[in-house]
Amino acid sequence: MSLRIAGMEWVTPLGSGLDAVWQRLLRGEEAAPQTIAGPFGQRNYSAFRVPDDALAGLPAHPRLRRASAISRFAVAAGLAALADAGLTIDGRMAERIALIFAVANGGVTYTKRFYHDIVETGADSASPLLFPETVFNAPASHLAAILGVTGASYTLVGDGAVGVLAIQMADDLLRSDTLDYCLIVGAEEADWVLCDAYRKWRLVRSEPPIEPFRKSARGTVLSEGAGAILLGREGSIAIDQIQPGSNFCVRKAATECATKVLSELAKPETGVIISSANGTFVDAAERAAVLQAAPKAMIYSPKPALGESVGASGIWQVITGALVLRTQQLPPLLHSASEAGLRIPIGAPVKVRAEDAIILDCGLNQQIAGLRLTVKN
Amino acid sequence: MAAGIVSPLGLGLEETLRSLQMARDCITPVTTFSVEQCRCKTAGRVPDEFLRGVRARGRRTQRLHRTAHMMIAVLEEALESNREFKPELTVIGTTSGGMSYGESYYRSLHRHDTARHSPGWLANYPPQKPVIDAQEAFGISAPCQVIANACASGSNAIGHAFTCIQSGRYQRVLTGGYDAISELVFVGFDSLQASTSEKCRPFDRDRTGMVLGEGAAVLLLENLDAARSRGANILGEIIGYGISTDNHHLTQPDPSGVGARRAMEGALQSAGIRAQEVDYINAHGTATPFNDAAEGKAIGELFGRVPLSSTKGMMGHTLGAAGAIEAVVCLLALEHQFLPANINFRNGEEDIDLNIVANETRAAPLRTALSNSFGFGGTNASILVRKVDV
Repeated sequence: MSLRIAGMEWVTPLGSGLDAVWQRLLRGEEAAPQTIAGPFGQRNYSAFRVPDDALAGLPAHPRLRRASAISRFAVAAGLAALADAGLTIDGRMAERIALIFAVANGGVTYTKRFYHDIVETGADSASPLLFPETVFNAPASHLAAILGVTGASYTLVGDGAVGVLAIQMADDLLRSDTLDYCLIVGAEEADWVLCDAYRKWRLVRSEPPIEPFRKSARGTVLSEGAGAILLGREGSIAIDQIQPGSNFCVRKAATECATKVLSELAKPETGVIISSANGTFVDAAERAAVLQAAPKAMIYSPKPALGESVGASGIWQVITGALVLRTQQLPPLLHSASEAGLRIPIGAPVKVRAEDAIILDCGLNQQIAGLRLTVKN
Repeated sequence: MAAGIVSPLGLGLEETLRSLQMARDCITPVTTFSVEQCRCKTAGRVPDEFLRGVRARGRRTQRLHRTAHMMIAVLEEALESNREFKPELTVIGTTSGGMSYGESYYRSLHRHDTARHSPGWLANYPPQKPVIDAQEAFGISAPCQVIANACASGSNAIGHAFTCIQSGRYQRVLTGGYDAISELVFVGFDSLQASTSEKCRPFDRDRTGMVLGEGAAVLLLENLDAARSRGANILGEIIGYGISTDNHHLTQPDPSGVGARRAMEGALQSAGIRAQEVDYINAHGTATPFNDAAEGKAIGELFGRVPLSSTKGMMGHTLGAAGAIEAVVCLLALEHQFLPANINFRNGEEDIDLNIVANETRAAPLRTALSNSFGFGGTNASILVRKVDV
């Protein structure tokens, strides 16, 4: 494989800016939860939201006038990842770069508003301005229009593993010499209806913290934002191997799938695993996989600090892994359990000597995948 | 390549073929939710009896969403004579997956119900769930890339699956698309005044819009030599794929047809053939004023008077399934040497000279067909299919 990370950026509940967010993670900070009030007098939930100043650099563009939050996050992250790589999209490049979006829930806020109007007052009050923004590929369309991309654009839907599947697609596309780059963007927006849905699915708790690798999985807290990575053929961090994994139809099968994925990615010298542990059943599956396939590796999950952002989280994990390799530091894993039997950085950042980092993504709804990053000189 | 299909035209290749040859109008009144306040009151619905066999598989299957039932039905057909087909990758298209379960959940919230069924609805709502369920039903666990590129999803899925096989990296890829009619999407198109209160008349001068449909289709793609060596019954060959992005507007194509044209040119280029070698075009042809004008212009400029039809008048626009269903329509046309009809057609546009296959199926010698799918967000996809010489 010759897939390299040429640029990256994230828009998170801890703000935006590659280094700014990284420094906050290293300091052991976590995002401040915000209460989302329930409609119809129903219960409230906490979620980690993107602060307004994280989008301060967003250009004024007609496409963003009515765009949903997910589109704004995606555009901000995508443009900054290109800037990080020093890449501008000119006439020739417009056809030689592909956009690949990874989302799980998409523009849920507008979808809810649109359907609410139908339920509340009937179909003739449904807004034609909202409906187009409910379509899964609306954020990709806005970013393509802002950048002037005229070639391939794909939006992939899935669970927490969708980010890795998007990178796998980029790997397939970049085998053709008709493309120079793929810009991968994972994005999500938080909404009360998602919090309630995931809680009814027994995956979300009402308030933080997210406590990874506890014996009793108390649930996760949803968040929002976007992560973008520009993949090309040059860069100091390579995606060395992708394991697109498989699917599990009952949760107890997740352990076997995760172990298989990790076993295929792990090397004896693997030093770091960026886990998707989020306080749900995922933690037990990944813990068992790590103990079996890479027991000596240090484990870190950014989710206790940034929240579970499903479609965006996988890309945040990749960015985290790349920054670990670049800085040779691992942030402290927040609210974790020392009894987990894993090598976990607790309390303070730890220095590592890692040449590779594995990203392990166990989704909340059936998909598991992973990949390995390595340092290239 | 093998296939499975379910649509308002029928369950399975044989029934679909019969409906196509008879140019059946399978659009019926919508009864599953209220359309009293909608301009459009009809759609192409897959009759429940088509899926009865799938539901009889047991309680666990019954709980799945209708799209999963459709996917199980089509995968069963495709695998019937290809039990040894084990895909390394699945690339599939959809726009809304199990949306109607999300609607049920929201309505229960609104009613302050105890929402006893909520966990089941929510678990089966995610768009990727139907294909994973269908795979599980047949012991398949390939990683799934689920493309949600609006109405181009199915063609994008087939096109990407084709490039994966063509690269030599994969030997066998399962591909296709699925979607079921939901209230939210139905009302959405109605709110945009994209759907019609009368017949869907693609490329007609007096067209007034689309009708929605539903269905699913899958293709088992594999390297041609590998398929031949195992003695597979080969339905046809994908030979080209083009994709483009049109940045004109979120819901409307560039009136010049440049986006559509670039996708079709890309497919020709990828196949290494000239426009004159295409014998039939299955157009996107939604019957909206904007789409058909832009697509018709692009087709006229690029292909001249190549026979052309949109089969959406018969079954409606099946959104994420459309590209897959229409690819199967092209394969059936190539195998049985006929041009599918563009029904409800009365008068062509005065300023575009297109060779519409008006109202009735026509026999014709066919070797190569082009299938177009264009979607919201400006995603355009064209795939080229060819008859395989035995």
